[in-house]
Order: sequence, then structure tokens, then C-alpha cells
Amino acid sequence: MGKLNLTALRVRQTAIRQKAVGKFDKLPKWVDAIADIPPAQAIVRTPAQQHQLVRQRVKSIPGASKPQVVFEVQEKPIKPKKASRMFQPVELKYEEDLLRKEFFRDHPWELARPRIVVETTGKDAEGHDWSRIQQRGKGLDGESVVQRQLWLLNNVPDMTKSFAYDTARREFYRLRLQEDIERRVAAEEAEATGATFGPSRHEIGMELESKEYERWKTWAKREALVSDQRTAAFTGAESQGDKPEEQSTDDVTQALTE
Amino acid sequence: MIVRQLCLRQARQLRALPRQSRILSRFSSTETTVETAVKTPVRPSPVEPGTSSGFSATEVEAYQQKVQNKHVFHSFGSKVSGAYRPESIIRSPPKPSEVTLELLLACQTHLGHSTSRWNPQNSRYIYGVRDGIHILSLDLTAAHLRRAAKVVEEVSARGGLVLFVGTRKGQKRTVVRAAELAGAYHLFERWIPGSLTNGQQILGHCEKKLVNPFDEQVHMWENEVEEYPALKPDLVVCLNPLENEVLLHECGLNNVPTIGVIDTDANPTSVTYPIPSNDDSLRAVGLIAGVLGRAGQAGQKRRLEEAQKGNLTYERMAPLVSTENVAKPSPAHLPLMNVSDGQPVEAASAAPSAVEPARTEAVSAEAASAELSSVELASAEAAGTEAASAEAANAEPTIAERGTDSPKKQQ
Repeated sequence: MGKLNLTALRVRQTAIRQKAVGKFDKLPKWVDAIADIPPAQAIVRTPAQQHQLVRQRVKSIPGASKPQVVFEVQEKPIKPKKASRMFQPVELKYEEDLLRKEFFRDHPWELARPRIVVETTGKDAEGHDWSRIQQRGKGLDGESVVQRQLWLLNNVPDMTKSFAYDTARREFYRLRLQEDIERRVAAEEAEATGATFGPSRHEIGMELESKEYERWKTWAKREALVSDQRTAAFTGAESQGDKPEEQSTDDVTQALTE
Repeated sequence: MIVRQLCLRQARQLRALPRQSRILSRFSSTETTVETAVKTPVRPSPVEPGTSSGFSATEVEAYQQKVQNKHVFHSFGSKVSGAYRPESIIRSPPKPSEVTLELLLACQTHLGHSTSRWNPQNSRYIYGVRDGIHILSLDLTAAHLRRAAKVVEEVSARGGLVLFVGTRKGQKRTVVRAAELAGAYHLFERWIPGSLTNGQQILGHCEKKLVNPFDEQVHMWENEVEEYPALKPDLVVCLNPLENEVLLHECGLNNVPTIGVIDTDANPTSVTYPIPSNDDSLRAVGLIAGVLGRAGQAGQKRRLEEAQKGNLTYERMAPLVSTENVAKPSPAHLPLMNVSDGQPVEAASAAPSAVEPARTEAVSAEAASAELSSVELASAEAAGTEAASAEAANAEPTIAERGTDSPKKQQ
């Protein structure tokens, strides 16, 4: 059969033929079970699905009373293709991609915030309405800005990309500030009613760092001493090279003690 | 001598073993280790006088107050609902009719492998390329999944033996649960090569049992059942075809239909019914196995309902003893020998309403060895038909009319 092994796809035909030549008396149970459910077509190549980047915009036309929805399709460069390329999958592109890239280029630390990406039913996005930036059941993050900007571009007449970006960002910053204040007030309230918070992560980090620094200081002092002694033993005590060496170790110890 | 790299012979099995990647020799030191002059000094932390734990008295008091408050206010506040629970896909998997594209998307079934690792035979299942990986087409996944579910249901409804195989790490519970639902068999450890092609040698000694259409064990023809040839599954569901090439090859040789989860790097012609989906995500595999398990459950239910009505969904098994033996049956077998193909109506009405499949116990066995024996136990199911009619007591004996050949001579 060459490269292809089609045994698995032809189980039913094989079973029927084996019965016909008397290999067994009774057909296996599954033969009539799968009679109505043929195996999937394999090896048939279908042309790959093509994806086009479509932009939706609302434009006000001078003569018309109402603004009109316009769809722009990104023009693809028509290049002569090899026939085999016809079956290769095409890159998926969406309008949000560029908006997302821009936002996270300007706000790289937004990527460091924790975010929920897991979904239970996959229908979370159905309840979202991006005519406002805050959504029920979704935390405010960079994606909110991107989606809000996209909604503005798609639905507001004569909207430009930069104006949509500014609008979405302004809303985002305002809500972020509000969140900060809420968090601070909550902490104050909690402390007022008897809550105690341990040292913060930053404080713990600093403490660990200073501990490590102290350890290194002891080790460096001892190392310097050993190095001095080795030099002294090699060159003889009170030699010429001894003077500057001692000077340098003194510098080190002095620097360390400061 | 310092042994830097222990290179094992590159056998295929060894390559499949999970082991640490080789450490490059330039990272390993060639010199003997030198002790550093000073070891890390351990400084005892200064302890405040008065308190042993380092907390002040007010802090301790506040903490105790907090614990008390927590206890008091625990029952108040909002309830979390709609949160993601990873267990739910195993405990209560959806039915085939409940599978939606959104659910498939949330379960990550659309994520394929890196574009460079693709098998071009899968090109029709691929929707596009995104961030360097292939994205599988969810509508095709759903269609193929429903088709596979239909196969599992039909085979189960005809009393076929279904074997669920998932030998990757973490797939154990998924596989066991699917088999439990479908009243099927499962394999979560290595497939012993030759279990199908050389089944008589490998599985011949395993226990078998005979059951009636209500899945109750029937004690008759015990010697014959023991000598019955090793059984073969009627359908194999393989969750990781890449690792189970041998199993699929044996299924091909033995003409057993197979269902497999085909990722973008797998060969879709290795199985009869491919399901294009991500096979690396436990959630995706859990969904697929769960859906197939539910389909099997529906099939088993249908079969038992038919049995209650007195219909057999499969062909009656030929008697295991020859006519001469029937002429002088042992006293123990005497009542059971009143076997016929008359309608087992009385038996049906007398039978318990909800019969737990006898196989389920075998299914929940944990060890791999138990696994294989459970495949063997399946003979019960295959042999079940005759025992069923044994229940129908008031009918004339017609055994002599039927052939005495063993129904399975596939090897």
C-alpha cells in the first residue's frame, strides 16, 4: 500500500469479505452497528480556508441623513502561488491584534497583572457589552481597553483609531484609580476593625536581600584575608607588592563597613 | 574517573521513557571541587524578650480576634457560582447532544501543535495558523465527535465490548470514568504488545464469565467458558494514538474498529473514526472521553431496556456444549438446560429493573494487570445471549437444532 495504510478505514469491508470466504460464521457485532456510520474521508485534500481581515466602520456620508456602515476588506497582494501552497493553512488575523499590540507596547506592566483566562462554558463573552468598558464577571484589564476601542471604531461614526484609543484609555485610567482608592480604603477599614497585615512582599524581599548581603560581606572579608596571606607567602613578608595589596583590602573592608 | 554522560542505547522504548534531558558536558566541571573558605554562617535570629514567637502581645490578641471573627462571620457574604471546577468534566461529563462549539473552545480542543510538526494529512481539519500553531476547526471536531459518539452508542447497544485506552500521564481518572459510564473496559498503563495478536498466550489464563441479557452472571458451562478463546474488543477508543501505535496496528490486523483523538501531528488514517482535537490538554481529552462515555451509557441503557421488553439487541450465542453432552447433562446444569429461543417474557418481567453491569467492578480495578483480565472478563458479555434465554424457563429445548461451533474464530 506504499505509505498509506488504509486497514483501519476498511474494517467493515474486510469483515464482510472475511465472512464471505468463511473465516468466521457470524459477523462481528459492530458490523451492522457501523453500517450507517461510515468512517470519515481521509487523505482527501480540501483547499485551505481563507481568512480575510475585515474592518467595520461607520461613516457619515455628505448627502445621506444617516451614517452608513462600511466594511473594508484588506487587499491581499496577488502573488503567483505554487499549486501545493493552495492547501496550506492560512494565518488567522483580526483587527484587535494590532490594537492589542499597541496597547501592551505602551503599557508593558499590564501583562504582569494576574488574569483569568479559563472559562467554564465558553459563553462568557456573550454577556459582554462593550458600549461601556466595565463588564460583569470580567476584571478590568488591557483586553478591556482593546475591546472597548474596537467597539468605538466599529460603532461610532467617523471614529479614528487614535481618538478611540484615547477614549478607551481615559476610561481605563479612571477606573484603575478608583480601584486603587477602593483598595486603600478597604485596608484602612480593615485595620480600624482590628485586622493585621504581615510584612508586605516588598519588605520580605528587602529583608532577604540584606541577609544575603551580610553573608557575602563576611565571606568577602575572609577571602580578602586569605588572598593577602597567599600573596605574602609567595613574595615574602613585607615585600614590595604587599603595600598596595593591603591598601586595596583596606579599601574593601572600609567600603563594606560603610 | 568521572562519568559525564551516560548514553543509553537508543531503543525506541527507552526514548519514550520520560527522563531528564542530557546535560551538556561544558556545563559539568572538569576540576575536582574546591571547598570554599567560609561556609555560610547561620546566624540565629534575635528573639525579642518576653515573646517566644516574635510577635507582640497586641498582635497576638488581634490575630485571635481575627480568627474568632472569621468563625462568626463565615456564613455571611456572597456565594461563588459559575466558577470553573476542573473535576466537573470527570464527574459529570456532558452528553453528545450538549456539546457546543463554545464548550469545545473553552476546553482547548482547538489548539494544535507547532506548524512545523504537522501531518499534512490533517490539513482538512485545520482552520488556520495563529501564533505559530495550527488551530483545529471546531465545527469539524464537533461533527467527528458526534459521529464517534454514535458509534460508541450503537456498539454498546448491541452488547459490544468497548475498550477505552489513554496511557498518558494524568489520563487515568478520565479513562476510568469514561469506562465506568459506558460499562466498558479501560487501559491506562502500557498496552502489552500482542494482547490481541497473541491473545491466547497473554490473556488466555484470565477469568471469564457468562452473563444474561440483564448483565447478571450465569453459572453454567463453566468448563467451556474457561476454555473459551481470549476475547477481543469490538471497539477501541484511543485517546493518545501517537503513543499507542502498536495497539492500533494490532487492531488493524484483527479488524477491530478504532476511535482516536487526532492532533495535528498524528496520522488520521491510523484509526477508523478520527476526532480532530488537542490531545495534550487533559481538559480536552477529558471532554472527549466523557462524551464518548456518556454515549456508551446511553447505548447500555437502551440495551437493558430492550432486554426488559424481552428483545435481544444482538444475535444469540451458539451453545458452548455439543449435542452429545446435552443428552446427559450433569444434575447441576439440569434446570438451566431448558434453554430455547422462545420469548423470555416472564424472565423479563421478573428481572430487576436496574441492573448494574457486571463489568463495572472490573472496570474500577486500578492495576494494569487487572486491566487486561478485565478485557478477558468481557467474554461474559459476548457469551451473554445464551444465558439470557436460560432464564426463560418454560420453553421446549431446542439446543440440538443449533450449531455447536464457537462463534469467534477470528484468529
